[in-house]
Amino acid sequence: MGVSQKLKSRLRKFLQRPGTTVDLAPLEKLLPAVEAMEDELAALDDAALTERAAQAEEYTEICAVGREAARRALDQRPYDVQLLGAMSLLAGKVAEMATGEGKTLTATIAAYGHVRQGRGPVHVLTVNDYLARRDATWMEPVYDLLGLTVGWVTEASTRDERRAAYARDVTYVSVSEAGFDYLRDQLVTDIADRVQPELTTAIVDEADSILIDEARVPMVLAGTVPSESDPVHAAAAIVADLKAGRDYKVGEDGRSAAFTARGTAAVEKALGGINLYDDEHTAQLSAVNVALHAKALLHRDVDYIVRGGTVELIDEMRGRVAQRRRWPDGLQAAVEAKEGLDATAEGEQLNTLTVQAYIALYTTVCGMTATAVHVGEELREYFGLEVAVIPPNTPNIRKDDEDRIFATRVEKEEAIVAEIAAAHERRRPVLVGTLDVKESERLATALEAAGIPSVVLNAKNDDEEASIIAEAGALGAVTVSTQMAGRGVDIRLGGSAGKDAEKVVDLGGLLVIGAGRHDSRRVDDQLRGRAGRQGDPGGSRFFVSLEDELITRHAGEMIPPSPKMDMDGNVHDEIVDYAIEHAQRVAEGVNHEIHRNTWRYSVVVEQQRKALAERRERLLTTDVAGDMLRKRLADKLADVPDEVVNEAGRAVALYHLDRLWAEHLAELAEVREGVHLRALGKLDPLDEFHRAAVPAFQKLMPEIEERTVLTVEELDLSDGYQPDAADLVRPSATWTYLVHDNPFGSELDRLIAAVGRRLTGR
Amino acid sequence: MLSAFTSAFKTPDLRKKILFTVFIIGVYRLGATLPSPGVSYTNVQNCIKATETGDVGGVVTLLNLFSGGALLSLSVFALGIMPYITASIILQLLTVVIPRLEQLRKEGQSGQAKITQYTRYLTLGLAVLQSSAFVALARSGQLFSGLCPQDNPQFTIIPENTGLPYWLTLTVLVLTMTAGTGVVMWLGELITDRGVGNGMSVLIFTSIAARLPSEGWSIKQSRGWGVFSAILVLVLVIITLVVFIEQAQRRIPVQYAKRMIGRRTYGGTSTYIPLKVNQSGVVPVIFASSLLYLPQLYLQFFNPNELNGYQQWIQNNLAKPSSWIYILTYFLLIIFFTYFYVSITFNPTEVADNMKKYGGFVPGIRPGKPTADYLDFILSRITLPGSFYLGLVSVLPNFFFIWLANEQYVNFPFGGVAVLIMVGVGLETVKQIESQLMQRNYEGFLR
Repeated sequence: MGVSQKLKSRLRKFLQRPGTTVDLAPLEKLLPAVEAMEDELAALDDAALTERAAQAEEYTEICAVGREAARRALDQRPYDVQLLGAMSLLAGKVAEMATGEGKTLTATIAAYGHVRQGRGPVHVLTVNDYLARRDATWMEPVYDLLGLTVGWVTEASTRDERRAAYARDVTYVSVSEAGFDYLRDQLVTDIADRVQPELTTAIVDEADSILIDEARVPMVLAGTVPSESDPVHAAAAIVADLKAGRDYKVGEDGRSAAFTARGTAAVEKALGGINLYDDEHTAQLSAVNVALHAKALLHRDVDYIVRGGTVELIDEMRGRVAQRRRWPDGLQAAVEAKEGLDATAEGEQLNTLTVQAYIALYTTVCGMTATAVHVGEELREYFGLEVAVIPPNTPNIRKDDEDRIFATRVEKEEAIVAEIAAAHERRRPVLVGTLDVKESERLATALEAAGIPSVVLNAKNDDEEASIIAEAGALGAVTVSTQMAGRGVDIRLGGSAGKDAEKVVDLGGLLVIGAGRHDSRRVDDQLRGRAGRQGDPGGSRFFVSLEDELITRHAGEMIPPSPKMDMDGNVHDEIVDYAIEHAQRVAEGVNHEIHRNTWRYSVVVEQQRKALAERRERLLTTDVAGDMLRKRLADKLADVPDEVVNEAGRAVALYHLDRLWAEHLAELAEVREGVHLRALGKLDPLDEFHRAAVPAFQKLMPEIEERTVLTVEELDLSDGYQPDAADLVRPSATWTYLVHDNPFGSELDRLIAAVGRRLTGR
Repeated sequence: MLSAFTSAFKTPDLRKKILFTVFIIGVYRLGATLPSPGVSYTNVQNCIKATETGDVGGVVTLLNLFSGGALLSLSVFALGIMPYITASIILQLLTVVIPRLEQLRKEGQSGQAKITQYTRYLTLGLAVLQSSAFVALARSGQLFSGLCPQDNPQFTIIPENTGLPYWLTLTVLVLTMTAGTGVVMWLGELITDRGVGNGMSVLIFTSIAARLPSEGWSIKQSRGWGVFSAILVLVLVIITLVVFIEQAQRRIPVQYAKRMIGRRTYGGTSTYIPLKVNQSGVVPVIFASSLLYLPQLYLQFFNPNELNGYQQWIQNNLAKPSSWIYILTYFLLIIFFTYFYVSITFNPTEVADNMKKYGGFVPGIRPGKPTADYLDFILSRITLPGSFYLGLVSVLPNFFFIWLANEQYVNFPFGGVAVLIMVGVGLETVKQIESQLMQRNYEGFLR
């Protein structure tokens, strides 16, 4: 390290930059002690080890026992760095560990440690069901030796299976399943229906993905509402003929679309010459607005795919089908109508929960990922988590080449094919990461035309993901994958069987090609990280075209009309280099802003949800509702047995509580939508939101009481209480969209913009 | 409001925030009264006393007002918050000119952090310039408009006989005031981050409020209790009026036709554009009074005893706050600037476009141009009473002058501005406290 670098790292540390705040030295000092216990533990038989495992309490002992158990059960002796990672997790940090360093095993030792230190049960939160099941079954022998029980939950699990799994010491579950289980537990009418125990400790796998990316999309529990009419198909037909630019305009940020005067006229004519903006036509206006959104902003094979007669959403960060995710507010139906499918039932929000609020329910949180430092500031701001950078076991020797930049998309794709062909000729395995489904299919076709066989992995066949990715390192393999392929799945050189591994090493290992920069450097790094695991050789290179959406959207005006390029069409222009970095930073900023706003506006809702949950708990576990009814309806209930009143009161009060909460959420969504307009009156939108949300909530409790009394008054309780199944249906929708806090800028911004316009004559 | 404060004090973390803010304000006031090294405290006080009855230039008065009297006494925080505000405005202006800055702004938080950093550097640069300028002004005696001649040892603000080389004294002085500015900037940011309210606004509020007791006392000293209490009552009436009108707004309902389900009509509209009666705030008053300072500035180039007829007229009318012509001009200028400022900062077309973009509309009115026209119409109607109100509040102090028939209150020409700023900041801060209070007050529900 040079002097200047040393100074720089000192400064970073002084400024408390993420990744510098956790000192690993004290933990490293424990490692010799761990090693010293190794022989002693190795001499024990399995039963004795299990017994010993039940006594461990200190870091040293936990690590030593954990290491021995892993060695016996998996024939893998955890490296020192894995133990360091486990200890950081025990200390409640986010451990940054490079790809292939064995995070799963690290989490296992940490989970054991947390239980031993009295912080059980432990939930290991994963990004998807596949990883939850795989990790749990893979690590089960280790847990057995450690004397712990382990379970896993997937979407297919029944309530009983869930309850059983959550009752274990360690439970592997995807974060959305865990969140939805929590939400459903909030709607039970009988305490025995609960599946989740008190939340204690969470170990978050792929922490950046779950804590940052997922945190932008709140989980929504929805119940179906019978809809009387079907305006979506009619609206879809009307909107189908409209043309972009002439009839409607798409916002620069690609997040909004609006009719032009001409478009409005066309729609009104098609609807029989009405005035859409009259009060009585609001429903039709909503329908065409939503239909336009579906047509103009959501693209097939980019934002969603159509499979088996249904529309399935693609997770924008992972490029895979987002399980049980739906668009809200009729948008899902509009997309279905656009694709000529039957519209499915609409959901009404019954309850919402942000990932952040869910995570906050745990008393201890820790996590691990390969890319934590990039989001270190956010992890600190939103979760109070610090990042511990764990050094790799063997240094990374992957060669990251400079980006190749082209003027057009066609040139870029030609160059990618040429680069793949060159590598493939030597039979070097290649993994190509593309940005969307369409591009992956285009590239696969081009490769086929060039005589290169390839395997395509995208949202359309993501169930085979693990097996495809596992073979991506085989000699001569070419794999085209959307987004970051296979988080959590190892790409071994030579394929899963590992044959020809040496040949692949000689060829330079896996070559990762990025077909375009992602919305954040972090995702780029994740893709690069697929190559060069555990000191393997490997290489990576990104190809960028000036027509990529990232660039046109965020840096379009910065690109010079004729950038400098060499004879082969490679752009070598400092301005372009800067513009690409800039575009990526803008995209990161936008995503951060969405996360921030989702969070800022959810704080008050979360508090209310908590207050309501306590109220609900009391209704559920005590007879407060019955007592209240006996007081209010003394005459009517005089002859009714107490148990019946209690039961009826509880059921009816819970029903109204849930209903009113759903209505409250709908009202807040309404307020949230237009609250940015308040900034025009120099009011702070967030304060205004609170000003609306809090009084509305204050009315809720008396309202529940009133409605309960009213309902019970009309009930006939002479034959006991007949529960009137108010069925609350399974979850569906999740979607967020950006409404910037104050799109107009501060007053000074506006003043200066106006002056600027006048000066520059624009 | 009082109950809001008492319950705010019952909420531990809010209490902590308020106490923290009070503490920072204390530090700020301490620095504002602490004389800088090299400045003779007694001589500065002599100068201030000497000029109390005289006429000090308008811009210095304004700056002095914003620094809470720290400027004229050349204290450690003499420059107050002004360099930071100036730097922010300059950087904002530069974003129009320099594309790099515009790009940084778009990068969101990380870019904004860089711009903030630039603002801080620029603040320090400006602080060096301004402190040097004020030290120079102080040495030449111009800081007090020549009313305390520096060759008189009783008035020498920065004496030479301190035992240190004179250049060193001056350098230390400049450095102290620059460092003071840095500290003030930090204090402001601390309030924004960990206290209540916007740090900059709170500090300006503090500065202005700090002057009130001494101003009031000097009226009592010269005119006695009767006039003093009359003025007190009048000021209270004005504050009430300002509080009332500052909160007045016209709500234009807006609907977002995007939800297909879950739409219900809730009691009243929850989505609206609030158009304030005083949409422009205090800025038009500052514009108008700055413009009206020009005639005064013009007269300073001439010997007051040898003015020609036309200059004489200016002297007696445009430069004399108690003259009817002055008051009328001031009033009309404020009305003009109110319309001007509102037209610049509230662009109905832009607002209409934004609403349209996200599917919003005013019920019964088509989006796009008709909406913009409608907003424009309402806005120009509501701005009329708003501008009259601004003008009235601003010229009220001038009637004091006539009534008191005492020119000494020329020293306080920004009476209207002061009240407007103080009420504005006060309302903003109380609203923020209230909102935070609401968020935390759920005890009532947990029965």
